[in-house]
Amino acid sequence: MADGGDTPDTLRDYLKTEYKKATGGTLTIEEQGWGDALAKLQTALPDADNTPDVTEIGNTWSPTFTNVGAFSDISDMYDELGGDKLLTSFVDVGKVDGKNYALPYYFGSRYVFYRKDLYAAAGVEVPTTLPQLTEIAQKLHNDSTSGFYLGGEDWRNGVSWIFAYGGDLAKQDGDQWKSSLSDPKSIEGLEALQELYTSASNAPVTEADSTPWVNINTQPEAAGPEAATIIAPGWAHWSIGDLAPDPKDDTKQVATWNDEVFGAYVLPGVDGGVAPVFAGGSNIAISASSKNQAGARELMKIIFSKEYQEMLGANGLGPANSDYVSSLGDDQFAKALIESALGSKLTPAAVGWAGVEGSGLLEEFFGKVNAGGDVASLAAEYDKKIDELINKS
Amino acid sequence: MSAPTRTPARARMSSPAPGPRIQPRRTTGVPYVLIVPALIALLLGLGYPLIWQIVTSFQKYGLSQQFGKPPEFVGFDNFANLVWDGEFWAVLVRSLLFCVVTAAVTVVIGVLMAVLMNAVGRTVRLILQISMLFAWAMPVAAATTVFIWLFDRRRGVVNYLLDAIPGVDMNRYDWLGNPLTFFFVASVLIIWMSVPFVSFAIYAGLTQISEEVMEAAQIDGAGAWQRFRRIILPMVRPVLSIVLLLQLIWDLRVFAQITLLKDAGSKSGDFDLLGTYIYKLGTATGDFGMASAVSIVVLLVTLAISWVYVRELIKEDEAQ
Amino acid sequence: MTAVKTGRIALSALAIVLAIVWIFPVYWMANSAFISTAVLQQFTPHFFPGEYFTFANFTGAISDGSFFGALGMSVTITLIVVAVCLVFAFLGAVAISRFKFRGRKSFVLALLLIQMLPAEGLFIAQYKMVSSVGLLNTVLGVSVIYIAAVIPFTVWMLRGFVAGVPAELEEAAMVDGLSRFQAFMRITFPLLAPGLVASGVYAFLQAWNEFTVAVVLLPAEAAQTLPLWLRGFVQASATRETDWGQVMAASTIVAIPVIVFFLIVQGRMTSGLVGGAVKG
Repeated sequence: MADGGDTPDTLRDYLKTEYKKATGGTLTIEEQGWGDALAKLQTALPDADNTPDVTEIGNTWSPTFTNVGAFSDISDMYDELGGDKLLTSFVDVGKVDGKNYALPYYFGSRYVFYRKDLYAAAGVEVPTTLPQLTEIAQKLHNDSTSGFYLGGEDWRNGVSWIFAYGGDLAKQDGDQWKSSLSDPKSIEGLEALQELYTSASNAPVTEADSTPWVNINTQPEAAGPEAATIIAPGWAHWSIGDLAPDPKDDTKQVATWNDEVFGAYVLPGVDGGVAPVFAGGSNIAISASSKNQAGARELMKIIFSKEYQEMLGANGLGPANSDYVSSLGDDQFAKALIESALGSKLTPAAVGWAGVEGSGLLEEFFGKVNAGGDVASLAAEYDKKIDELINKS
Repeated sequence: MSAPTRTPARARMSSPAPGPRIQPRRTTGVPYVLIVPALIALLLGLGYPLIWQIVTSFQKYGLSQQFGKPPEFVGFDNFANLVWDGEFWAVLVRSLLFCVVTAAVTVVIGVLMAVLMNAVGRTVRLILQISMLFAWAMPVAAATTVFIWLFDRRRGVVNYLLDAIPGVDMNRYDWLGNPLTFFFVASVLIIWMSVPFVSFAIYAGLTQISEEVMEAAQIDGAGAWQRFRRIILPMVRPVLSIVLLLQLIWDLRVFAQITLLKDAGSKSGDFDLLGTYIYKLGTATGDFGMASAVSIVVLLVTLAISWVYVRELIKEDEAQ
Repeated sequence: MTAVKTGRIALSALAIVLAIVWIFPVYWMANSAFISTAVLQQFTPHFFPGEYFTFANFTGAISDGSFFGALGMSVTITLIVVAVCLVFAFLGAVAISRFKFRGRKSFVLALLLIQMLPAEGLFIAQYKMVSSVGLLNTVLGVSVIYIAAVIPFTVWMLRGFVAGVPAELEEAAMVDGLSRFQAFMRITFPLLAPGLVASGVYAFLQAWNEFTVAVVLLPAEAAQTLPLWLRGFVQASATRETDWGQVMAASTIVAIPVIVFFLIVQGRMTSGLVGGAVKG
């Protein structure tokens, strides 16, 4: 099995033990960094000697790999694995001609983390609309502390502004997709994003979806933190807090969440409510070239079992089966996760979408927008570039 | 292979083998048996891929073909697409410019370093040489990682030192943030790694210029610059031209450095050179047909540059 | 006379400054590797480890689960490449420097042109070939490519050394009653030792440092070589704040064998350099 590295160790151990019980075989879990994962999947999946039997795959890449025939048909197991209870939008991207190939593994979602102390000092409140957010971020902003720390190329977070203003990355027209960055609503969102970035973020234009949370923690010897506000996947809360030497190893530092200083809220919509954010998470599928289809199916059963789904929830990863969402708990993080996930949106289910992501065009486009470029002409330029890839397999 | 190949042994190429000429023996089957292992190794590792690549560059070969759909012959379509592809031309021009500038600066600094080595006393020369040996010995992955740390936006020592100069504000300057400074860092890294080879090779040539000639020139009233132009330069010219050619070829293949620097910087295509561009085309967007076509272009450019060099070596071989 | 003297002193000073500049990145790597991360995270750099000296970065880097696997891969691949290249290249070098045969010129031309082929222009095809025979993520797959890349230059280099041993020496020994093969093994072969060492070092450096082909042919984490491990290490540490102490310790670990090797054979290589240039 290959996974993206977000699965905690206790869950991996559980999978290994259960797999041994069920089949007598040994389960090897190989972790791949998301950075190279796309290149690695392309090359390993068609190759019977190197393919993982079961593979986790970014939800946004599912349409591409499902369409080219990388995965085995598991429609016959669909009901057994949870059926209609499984997250529909994720099921849909793993479907071709009504057959199921890839199913949801977990969902994540992005929400906002902020410094209560800095908000209080600047006399600002948690915003309830998106324009308000820009306003307070500008008030909080100075040369050493970003009001809202957001990387210029970070399109996975930045796309929320397009969604919030009612725009979209691409639209379907028959069986063809067309990039829709030039849609007036998308442009409106991008301009709002550009304003926020240029007036309230010190992050480099070239920074992509990396590790924004390191910036909200107090930096040793620095006057204050790098950021008053960030947006990050829900599980980032494990890395946010007061830094102190690790009791196990004093050369390292660990962060402990402190309710006095840190807080979380969901990204507000343009007119209040909740903004649709990028739906994080991943799908899981059996490689069509795997020589061990039977073992792979056993593993799927374990993954979709009540026990494992609840373990995912307990670790802050949204379980694919809606029956077990309550296992996320009811603390502030669980609430923010569920609330933001409800409105979240996926990237286009186009066959060429993985190619679009692999090409780095989205990073390039968002970077140029945030560097202060002319949104309309950039959008037209990149619509054209993306259109060349989006329907190609 | 990937990085500029930096080994002193390279310098030997510049010279014919020492020793008296020998009479090659008459033809028997023996030499064929002797070259068979090397030949098989070459065919296996390079020959077959080269043929596959030429064939694929004439095919539509995308992700679907990866997963078993038969490829379709499309003639020169891939190449025609390249001609009209603005990004390809941008990458090609950028790569050639990067290569020429980096190689030229490397050779100029290398020559000056060699002259300096020749001019200073033994101890100082040894200190300089040892310091350069360390730079030379650094594996490319390690060297690039170290440079990323040196130029780190927030805690890099380069920004710290520059910022300490009165009137200079380099606090948090993001070197990898725009293409110009990104390629500046890449170029500095490559020059740092390659200058030792150039200066050692040139220095070896310089030591062959006899003291008497230099002294005689000095007595005749030739200044330092004149001595450099009239005596030193002609003496080292053969080594110099070969070293320059090698640098050009090596600086066209800088995949490792650019990949690692991009890891720390931008995903944007504005930071790609030919190597990373092909990699992205082939393995990330899955278009093997186009990736092969670009690879063919790279091979042709390299062969064009190498041809001059290879011709020199052939002459040298024939002279034996 | 004093003008000349001050000139010399100025040049020496310049040389020392350049020496410091050139070694600084290597020094900075070692320096950072011995300072604990907590200290490195401060905004003021420390130019000496001093009171912050620690080995923790090294133990941390080595205890990263994949270090020993990567070390094993690197060592195995390097040994195979060095051994195979020396044998194959030696035979090829004898052929082109001791024999005249039809096709010799084409063979030499092919060798020279081939060594110019950039991996960047071939890795996609090499990937397809290696994966189609199921050798992705294996020592064998990557070794085949490395050997092909290293052989042309080692043949060329050894050719110079073989040609440098006068055939008359062998012939004299044959007059003394030795067969051609015996004469070759007793007279010529020992004189080739420096050439074999130089070629071996070349092959070692190539295989140990190689990154490009390794990225493509060794995608699995379990199969990575040390340069890939270093890259993965930097990437992995990005999920927390980049742990520069450990990253520099990891870089040091990758660089040490190469630097040591370089310094040991340095004298031989420098004399080889000079020796080569004499006839330049």
